[in-house]
Amino acid sequence: MKAIKQVLGDDLGKYTMVLALVALMVIFNIISGGRMMTPSNFQNLLSGNAYVLVLALGMLMVIVIGQIDLSVGSVAGFCGMVMAIAARDYNLPWFVAVLVALGIGLLVGAWNGFFLAKLGIPGFITTLGSMMAFRGAVIWVSQSISVPAPEELRFFGAGYLPEWGPNTGLNNSTLLLGIIGIAAYAYFQIKKYMHSGDITGTKDPVWIYAVRIAIVTAVIGYFTYLFGSGREGTSFPVPGLILLILVIVYYIITERTTFGRHVYAVGGNKNAAALSGVNVSRTYFLTMMNMSMLAAIASILFVGRATAAGPADGTSWEMDAIASVFIGGAAVSGGVGTVLATMVGGMVMAVLNNGLMLMGVGADKTQVIKGLVLLLAVTFDVYNKSAGRPSIIGRLFGSKEEAKGKESK
Amino acid sequence: MKRRLLSMLLAAALTATVFAGCGREGTTDSSSAGSSTDTAAEADSDSGSDDSSAAADAGSGEGFEEGATIGISLPWLGTQNWKEAETMFTEELTAAGYTPLVQAADNKVPQQQQQIESMIQNGAKVIVVGPIDGTQLGAVLEEAKDAGVYVIGYDRLIENTEAVDGVVQFGSVRTGELQGQALLDGLKANKGDGPYNIELFGGGPADPNAPNFFTGAMSVLQPEIDAGNLVVVSGQTDFTQCATEDWDNKKAQSRMDSLLAGNYSDKEIDGVLSPNDGIARAIITSCEDAGQPIPVVTGLDAENESVSWVWEGKQYCTVAKPTQDLVAKTIEIINSLQAGNGMPTTDVTADNGKKEVNIYELDPVVVTKDNAKEVFADDEERMALLQ
Repeated sequence: MKAIKQVLGDDLGKYTMVLALVALMVIFNIISGGRMMTPSNFQNLLSGNAYVLVLALGMLMVIVIGQIDLSVGSVAGFCGMVMAIAARDYNLPWFVAVLVALGIGLLVGAWNGFFLAKLGIPGFITTLGSMMAFRGAVIWVSQSISVPAPEELRFFGAGYLPEWGPNTGLNNSTLLLGIIGIAAYAYFQIKKYMHSGDITGTKDPVWIYAVRIAIVTAVIGYFTYLFGSGREGTSFPVPGLILLILVIVYYIITERTTFGRHVYAVGGNKNAAALSGVNVSRTYFLTMMNMSMLAAIASILFVGRATAAGPADGTSWEMDAIASVFIGGAAVSGGVGTVLATMVGGMVMAVLNNGLMLMGVGADKTQVIKGLVLLLAVTFDVYNKSAGRPSIIGRLFGSKEEAKGKESK
Repeated sequence: MKRRLLSMLLAAALTATVFAGCGREGTTDSSSAGSSTDTAAEADSDSGSDDSSAAADAGSGEGFEEGATIGISLPWLGTQNWKEAETMFTEELTAAGYTPLVQAADNKVPQQQQQIESMIQNGAKVIVVGPIDGTQLGAVLEEAKDAGVYVIGYDRLIENTEAVDGVVQFGSVRTGELQGQALLDGLKANKGDGPYNIELFGGGPADPNAPNFFTGAMSVLQPEIDAGNLVVVSGQTDFTQCATEDWDNKKAQSRMDSLLAGNYSDKEIDGVLSPNDGIARAIITSCEDAGQPIPVVTGLDAENESVSWVWEGKQYCTVAKPTQDLVAKTIEIINSLQAGNGMPTTDVTADNGKKEVNIYELDPVVVTKDNAKEVFADDEERMALLQ
């Protein structure tokens, strides 16, 4: 037990959902007779859910500042529709249309941010208004008729990375991506090891870092194989790559920048943050603006994959994004939640959806199951966090002393 | 210790919910599909996929093995015709020796995209798609094509992609013509001499059939409007003005409410063109609430409730598009594909924006009180309504 803690860190609680995710994948794979863990299914899983996960990235930050954004679905629908119309009726090249969509996203975000940050209207109300207004606007500008999108957008929504170089049996772009991932992780772990003794004077045992690197190498290696070994012409999907880049960017923003720390500070205690010199209204404004810009990116991915923008696009997407964030362990009261956990939360929903479909379960029952999972996951989390109780994992494995140690923290 | 037990229970409950869902599936599905062979079918599908690889190895060339998985992706089960299609496909494909995989997508496009992908994963040889939005399935259907799957559109045109082999549907312009003609006939029979005051309703704009219904109906009504025999009091005669978002009955009802309040305070309404039964009932309810005499209202789909209303004389007519005919035609095509004969030939094609798609067109039937008993002679469930 001690060894496990040394490798994974003290807080094992954050691995609950990772464990649930792995369990879901394994069990569905067995039930479906091996159809879950196949290259094409995983490619579908990523391209089909990238838009929700992109929304969840922004939604995480909105929820951390203690607000909620109900308008993301409508805003995404609107951005996608305007993009498609701009390209079709005004003959704009596709990349200009994409910029138009992003610009609208930023403007809408500024609008939401203005009401929340400058006028102090609660985010729930502000975005409820935007949700209705932009749903109407989508129907208005499209006259409720779907608009085909430029062909080039297919690449962003359903495309694959190119194949090049020698025949390795895997898609080389995917392989390269995997190698970069492993190398980057190893680099940061080694750097961490080098600095581990800076304060205490004694370095951590080398084996801890070796085990971490080995585990991550195995995981990335497996997925590289999975994504790279699909039918010819397929690879790690482009929407997955876009998502990956965004995850890295937002991981850095939330964990390593002043703005990120302000987001958590404002969410944790607005007044304390303000007294410590954090510009609360600026933090609110930028977070809302960022959310709507991500909604625009999500719409580009979705429209690219659907090959057309439809008047009903975006309906209830906000709910999927919000569910991902809470399953990822964010607190309803704000201040708590991480980018990586949110991605795990989103993947739990995605894998659940995918697995149930592979088994031929209808949308109605899938919805029931997803609802119950959300409720149980959050109950679970709230129960475990109340009164500083140790996490579920800690309790299953831990001794009484460890539990006490945690409670006193 | 107690706490540890409790959290173990919670953890167990979490997993149990997920898999209880899976377990439940076998039983619920078989009861709704009316076949007890669901689990057997699932087992078959496993062995079926093994067979398929064996068959491919044997180099059987065209066609595919008996017992192959056939994917059926329906938009939702919220109206009677889709629920009927679900049941009929499950029963009749099973009876024909296939392994049906019938799913409905709750009217959400991403859900339908993912369902189609999971059907490809499940080794379906043919995927029949009743699209939510006919333009938004391009990328996934091309995936199906790449995997060598036949794609057949069901009831609605699949647009904006080359990856479709044919579409089975009732002639939608023809349906509209029948509705328009029925409205004229009904007005002459029930409302004395003209000119008649009428209003027009269209279906959901995202459904490519809806504008066609409207065009068909207007091809009959427009000459009469121009001749002054029909008066659209509100002046709303464009499809975009008359369309009903998502075929949503309550949206139609509130549009009718405001039309009546705004234009009919000193007039009586004689007739309303309605694109389907749900909207027809919403219109009739609205007229009753406004204290208007019930106008002549058309319909579509022969939903049970509207069949009774036609029989009682509240709704003038409905147009039956027997789901059975559509399903039978679709299965006929699947049989032809299975035998290696490819898609049957047809004279009718439609431009879907990317290519000319083969259309297998069926003729709908107008149902009024006079001919209801003949039309539904073989339909026990609806005959029971005509008492």
